[in-house]
Amino acid sequence: MTDETNASARIAARSDVVFAELRDRNYRATSRMFAVLMVLQWLFAIGIALVWSPYAWEGKVRTIHAHVYLAVLLGGGISSLPLLLTLLRPTDALTRHVVAVAQVFWSALLIHLSGGRIETHFHVFVSLAFLAFYRDYRILIPATLAVAGDHFVRGILWPESVYGITNPEWWRFFEHAFWVAFEDVILVFSCLRGVSEMRGIAARQAEAEEASRSESEKSLALAAALDDLRRSHEALTRSERLAAIGQLAASVGHELRNPLTAVRNAHGYIAKRLTADGKEDVRIRQFLDIMDREIRACGRIISDLLDFARDKPLEVRPCPLRALVDEVFELVPSRESVELVNGVPEDLPVPNIDKEQFRQVLVNLVQNGSEAFGDGKSGTVEVRAEGGGSSPWRIAVVDDGAGISPEALPKIFQPLFTTKLRGTGLGLAVVQGLVQKHGGAIDVSSQTGRGTTFTVELPAEPAVVAA
Amino acid sequence: MKPLGMAALLWLFGVGSGMVYVSKYKATPGETVEPSATWPAEVTLERRPGLPTLVMLAHPKCPCTRASIAELARLMERIRNRVNAKVVFLSTRGGAEFSRTDLWSSAARIPGVEVTSDPEGAVAGRFGAVTSGEVLVYDASGRLAFHGGITPARGHEGESAGRIRILDLIEGRTPDRADAPVFGCSLREPSPEGRK
Repeated sequence: MTDETNASARIAARSDVVFAELRDRNYRATSRMFAVLMVLQWLFAIGIALVWSPYAWEGKVRTIHAHVYLAVLLGGGISSLPLLLTLLRPTDALTRHVVAVAQVFWSALLIHLSGGRIETHFHVFVSLAFLAFYRDYRILIPATLAVAGDHFVRGILWPESVYGITNPEWWRFFEHAFWVAFEDVILVFSCLRGVSEMRGIAARQAEAEEASRSESEKSLALAAALDDLRRSHEALTRSERLAAIGQLAASVGHELRNPLTAVRNAHGYIAKRLTADGKEDVRIRQFLDIMDREIRACGRIISDLLDFARDKPLEVRPCPLRALVDEVFELVPSRESVELVNGVPEDLPVPNIDKEQFRQVLVNLVQNGSEAFGDGKSGTVEVRAEGGGSSPWRIAVVDDGAGISPEALPKIFQPLFTTKLRGTGLGLAVVQGLVQKHGGAIDVSSQTGRGTTFTVELPAEPAVVAA
Repeated sequence: MKPLGMAALLWLFGVGSGMVYVSKYKATPGETVEPSATWPAEVTLERRPGLPTLVMLAHPKCPCTRASIAELARLMERIRNRVNAKVVFLSTRGGAEFSRTDLWSSAARIPGVEVTSDPEGAVAGRFGAVTSGEVLVYDASGRLAFHGGITPARGHEGESAGRIRILDLIEGRTPDRADAPVFGCSLREPSPEGRK
């Protein structure tokens, strides 16, 4: 089905819904009008009775006139059901038909109460016009039948009350019926036109909504495209910046490594000779230890710089994760207060990864987790993993340490961003780069004081069954 | 059938029955007795020689009589100069307030109609009229030519058998009947046992 056909179907369906809403709204409004009218007619009838015929007389003795009882009781009866239905079931077809018949009854009662005044007979025609407000020509049928039935029966039994003369011609019934039918024809036409107008309004509204929806979709698509463009631009800028940093890091790392190696060799030689002489000065030993520690730190920094700058191709092969995590725990400097837990299931399928590079990922994450505990504070760093088969791999490194502040969290993968006193700010950037090289993504969630979880997700792939 | 449909049918039956009752009530005439066949000698109302006399006995506060007065006005437009017309309103002894109502004023405004009061209904009693709105037509010789009402129903204006018959009578045609039903309040007090 084409987009155009889909749009047409949507417009047609929506048009039907809007039409039903408009029709029901009109039913409700008209029912409300008739609810008020039912009460007003009742009050009016009581008023007529009280003003025109409050008492019946027998000589000088008076009693309440039957008109008063009729207005109160019969009028109340006529209005009761339509009033109830217009309030409780304003859109029901039954409500409209009851209202139609009630209006005819009201015409008859008001004609009786007003002494058959010819002017009151107009109530019949006005009522039919009011009923047309429903825009449902079908309800004119019971109303007209009620009028015709009333005229027909009274025309036979009591012609004066209908025609005002005692011996009307036989066709007088048709004359009255003609004028009622004449109004009916006009009102039916009016109802049909009203319905047609509502359908037109519904169709136009549906078309406008469809157009608006289409425009909205276009706006959203444009916004998404602009967002993509912005992200691409940012990524490009970041890549250019990282490339520059990488070149600088490679150059600095390369230039520093050789002198640092020479310093380390010299330091080793001096330390050995001083020990061999047996004339060890305590302070010299302390300074040598400081030199050794700082040389190692410089070595790590240079390694980080080179890891970051190098674009070593992946060498993907099956690599059991649980064993890899055990290796990682061997490499990470141990802290007595921090327990490292290998939560990788033994029967986990074996993923295809670059072992060296993914070990670097896990080393950096586990070391970060291990360093998340302040001095003297204890805790756990656990590595969990799941997935395999058709499911993507999820490797999580979870610690219950100090957590990362909400301000720092969005920046932690940025190169050179660090919250540590002695950090290069390259560890997590290296991790992210390596994960992305594997076609995966890394996410982080953290709560200050509750801990941090890094989740690496690698795409699903055919896995080797664990040995 | 659904409860609401049943309720609607019950309502239709109830209200329809009420409307039938209304029609029946409106078409039910008041009480009549045999009127005086000749002009009562004790009645002091003035008669004009050579003219028939039309007398309407009326209750000044009867709502239905409003229609009778209106019909009399229509009738008089046709026969004003050919009849001696009088409306006699029931009144209390020694006081006119009871009878001086809007009906009195309406009747007094009809050209050719003389309005008078009837303390304690003595005149009505002599004519034998017991229901407000009853019209008696005596010919020039004093014989009763017609008696009855000139409205089609209780408090209902419009052409009636009584009006047609009076017109026939006054205009020289022979009416099919000399009476018509009267719709109005009773001119007599209720009896101690109660009267329907």
